[in-house]
Amino acid sequence: MSWQDYTHDMQRCTRCSYCKWIPYRYMRNTDFIEGCPSVARYNWHAYAAGGKFNMAYSLLKGRIDIDDTFLDVLYRCQMDGSCDVSCKVQQDIEPLQLMQELRIKCVEEGKLPQPHQTVIQGLREEDNMMQAPKSDRGKWAGDMDVKDLAIDKAEVVYHAGCRYSYDKELWPVARAGLSLLQKAGVDVGIMGADEVCCGGRAYELGCSDEMEKYAQRQLETFRAAGVSTLVTPCADCYASFKVLYDKIGKGLGIEVFHITQYLERLLKEGKLKLTKKVPLTVTYHDPCHLGRLAEPWVHWQGKEVKVQGQMIVHDPPKQYRRGANGVYEIPRNILKSIPGLKLVEMYRIKEYAWCCGAGGGVIDAYPDFALWTAAERLREAGAVGAEAIVSACPWCKRNFLDAARETDNDIKVYDLIELVQKAI
Amino acid sequence: MKLAKQEYQALEYIVGREYITQELVILDTYNQVWGNKFFFDEKHSTRPSAVVLPASTDEIQAIVRVCNEYGILFKAFSSGFEYLSLALEKEKGILLDLKRMNRVLEIDAKNMRAVVEPYVSVYRLQLEAAKHGLYTGRIGVGYSAGVVAAECCHHGCQHTMVFTSGYGRNVLGVEWVLPTGEVLEMGTGESGGELFSADGPGFSLRGILRGRTGANGGHGIITKASVKLYPWYGPAEWEQEKKPGEPPSRGQLPKVPDGYKVLIPTFPNIDAALEAAADFCHAEILYSLSISLLGTDVPAEGNDEEWAMMQAADPELAEEVKSSLVLVIGGQSSRELKYREKCVLAITEKRGGRFLPEFNEPAALARSFVDMIWSNGVPALRVTGDFLPSSSSPDGSPDMLKNLALREGEIVQRYERSGAFFRRDTGQRQITWRPEENLSTGAQGISVALYDPYDPSSLEAARRFISELFDPRGKFQRFGVPARGGCLQIESVTHVHQNWGQRYDNYDLWLRKLKKMLDPNAVADWSAYIPPDYPDYPREGGYVMPSYPRKEEKGE
Repeated sequence: MSWQDYTHDMQRCTRCSYCKWIPYRYMRNTDFIEGCPSVARYNWHAYAAGGKFNMAYSLLKGRIDIDDTFLDVLYRCQMDGSCDVSCKVQQDIEPLQLMQELRIKCVEEGKLPQPHQTVIQGLREEDNMMQAPKSDRGKWAGDMDVKDLAIDKAEVVYHAGCRYSYDKELWPVARAGLSLLQKAGVDVGIMGADEVCCGGRAYELGCSDEMEKYAQRQLETFRAAGVSTLVTPCADCYASFKVLYDKIGKGLGIEVFHITQYLERLLKEGKLKLTKKVPLTVTYHDPCHLGRLAEPWVHWQGKEVKVQGQMIVHDPPKQYRRGANGVYEIPRNILKSIPGLKLVEMYRIKEYAWCCGAGGGVIDAYPDFALWTAAERLREAGAVGAEAIVSACPWCKRNFLDAARETDNDIKVYDLIELVQKAI
Repeated sequence: MKLAKQEYQALEYIVGREYITQELVILDTYNQVWGNKFFFDEKHSTRPSAVVLPASTDEIQAIVRVCNEYGILFKAFSSGFEYLSLALEKEKGILLDLKRMNRVLEIDAKNMRAVVEPYVSVYRLQLEAAKHGLYTGRIGVGYSAGVVAAECCHHGCQHTMVFTSGYGRNVLGVEWVLPTGEVLEMGTGESGGELFSADGPGFSLRGILRGRTGANGGHGIITKASVKLYPWYGPAEWEQEKKPGEPPSRGQLPKVPDGYKVLIPTFPNIDAALEAAADFCHAEILYSLSISLLGTDVPAEGNDEEWAMMQAADPELAEEVKSSLVLVIGGQSSRELKYREKCVLAITEKRGGRFLPEFNEPAALARSFVDMIWSNGVPALRVTGDFLPSSSSPDGSPDMLKNLALREGEIVQRYERSGAFFRRDTGQRQITWRPEENLSTGAQGISVALYDPYDPSSLEAARRFISELFDPRGKFQRFGVPARGGCLQIESVTHVHQNWGQRYDNYDLWLRKLKKMLDPNAVADWSAYIPPDYPDYPREGGYVMPSYPRKEEKGE
């Protein structure tokens, strides 16, 4: 699909503005009813998904060009998919896919905000999104006794991802995830310095070729390593492996788990037991890439047809991704099974969760906007009485930690892995 | 048209650099709305010269004064979910996006009123008011629409009008920036009091403020409104829930809230249903009423599912819908609720009604409650991409509305049968009207025709259909001016007032005088109001022809 393939959607966007809010059915507290960080922060309609449809249609009609403003509006967006969920309560159109294709078009035309160009250059040179040397990739594991799949064989590969591999403050979390698997007796290894980026973030920036390249590389690497299962503690990586690779026809052909899914399996099998009390009131933040963006890709080929005169339907019927089939219950079930821990829910959860702010490249190019978005989430966590906010993604944790410091918010920030570790 | 440097700077000085733009990329997101294709032959209407995001009445006053000084047309809007809210008559014009004026300023529970800024949406006010045991009316267009736009500037009708009355009747006062930049407060506000009554002491200008259909920005900007609230018998907070994996459209209340009951009687025929509806209204027991639109079905996630549901539907049951009513009753006490329920049962029996179990099972009733009280949005816009409010919500007696709907139904069916419109069914036309204040002040009729604006034959048929209904020379001879808040009127395209004024006491001359008096420099956009002077449009006899642009005429 190219951006022009969404012409129907551009024409059919009604300007209802539902994309700006969470679906009304789920509004409860009027302080927390906005869904799109971008338009909430910048106000202009262009920053909402509806505005992107308008921009695309004007571009198609030759009324505007891809200039600096176009790029700025398009990239000051976490690509978090909240708009997509809200829009599709009412409409059969695809705001997120259009935005993705617009970004791809920008890249094809050699237009990408400068900070992203720097990140992509780093990716091409060092195979990671953190502009760090590839030789340092496996250092996060420190002196852990773990199989190196470049030379050993194991059933499961633990893919740490770029953020965990290079963000030293988060290394303990990455190590904790691995040690939990080891403790449960899982035959697990890591790629060490040979691990490379999943390419998902690059894809979101519009660099589709980069992800295709890395998908192919992962495929070959995992095949060579002989692994049958991949477990990752990073939600971004999970969505790439599980959804985006499938979307572009590069499925890995092995089982892919987010670590929360794998931990739940281990808990159910009794290989891990949560016995220690963790007396804490926490709220769970759904990472976008584990939630609505982790919904399996739906391949559909068909055509639009009219029935009953002018009713627009599809032949065969098209199953839209409406965000409901992300990973929502598993993390909550794990948290609920931790002794002494109390889970309180925020007002925007699951498929209509507010983003942490880091996604879509915003953390790289617009750090102030990333922090503003995270601070909003921390405010919401505080409003429901949480002592701690728990996520399941290193990008969320990083951004929440920074926002808490920036705003002198003393809320604790955990990854779910850390709480499981405390309970064992 | 780009503003001159000094014009732009004058506006920028008022709101600050961050809150004004003339970037084409952004401007072109302020002129694309559903319905545009019908009027303008393309999705884009006139591109504004600039858009500003004011934050206060003072800023708006200053902006309006600059517009007067430099001859810049202006129009303000809240959600912008209406083509007439963004359309501009001239290329030298700016839009005021009121998104930053987003406060619920006051909920005066004792006096049952709320004071809000323009961007506060109807559903947001519902959520806030419920905490105080209060409620504002449902809005047909869905939850994103603004309270101020609905009550003060525009027209619509909905199911709770039987209890909460029509939008315009709930205005208790406004802060109104006139096209000259002066601020006017209506009623008690003008006399120095709080906004308790729009009718005085002080000027009572409700007729001028909005009249029947609203001025739609044609005579200034409402920056604050006090609106009447009504009792809410439900909980202070509620949650609509769905099962994991279900699409978000499935969220529902687990049951009808305590304090309310929903009853759906079905009558032997449409006539009996309409007679019963009048009885229910006159008994003054209803909180909400719907005729022939039940809202009991599981909301489809999209057209494909809706089509599947249509195919699977029991045709006999679908036929029963036409002679069914949804009645929502509420009460402060169980005794009050019980009394109202008894009334419902008695009237239902008297008119030969019965309660079909399929319509009256608890989950169906809960779904219907949600739609009747808060609205399910506008799924009609999804079905074909656009719709026409064909009978234009005229006011009148139920008999008049019924006759109008039946006659219009014959015309609609002709277009439906030709394949130009979405064909709902092949049977008798559904009849519906929405009473105001227990039918004491009449009712409003509503019906829609669904067409696809991007199917040239459907679009062409839609225009012919509207001409057929609204050409005063035609056979239809409809009652009332065909202007649903301008909903079928973009002044420079459909010329509604010019064609219909002479039929109704030359009301348009008076309206134009008001326009000139309030807006001497003609700077408040009148695309959905009335022009200060009628341009010389092509005529056919005395009839001013519609001015739909044609691509071939524009050389495209």
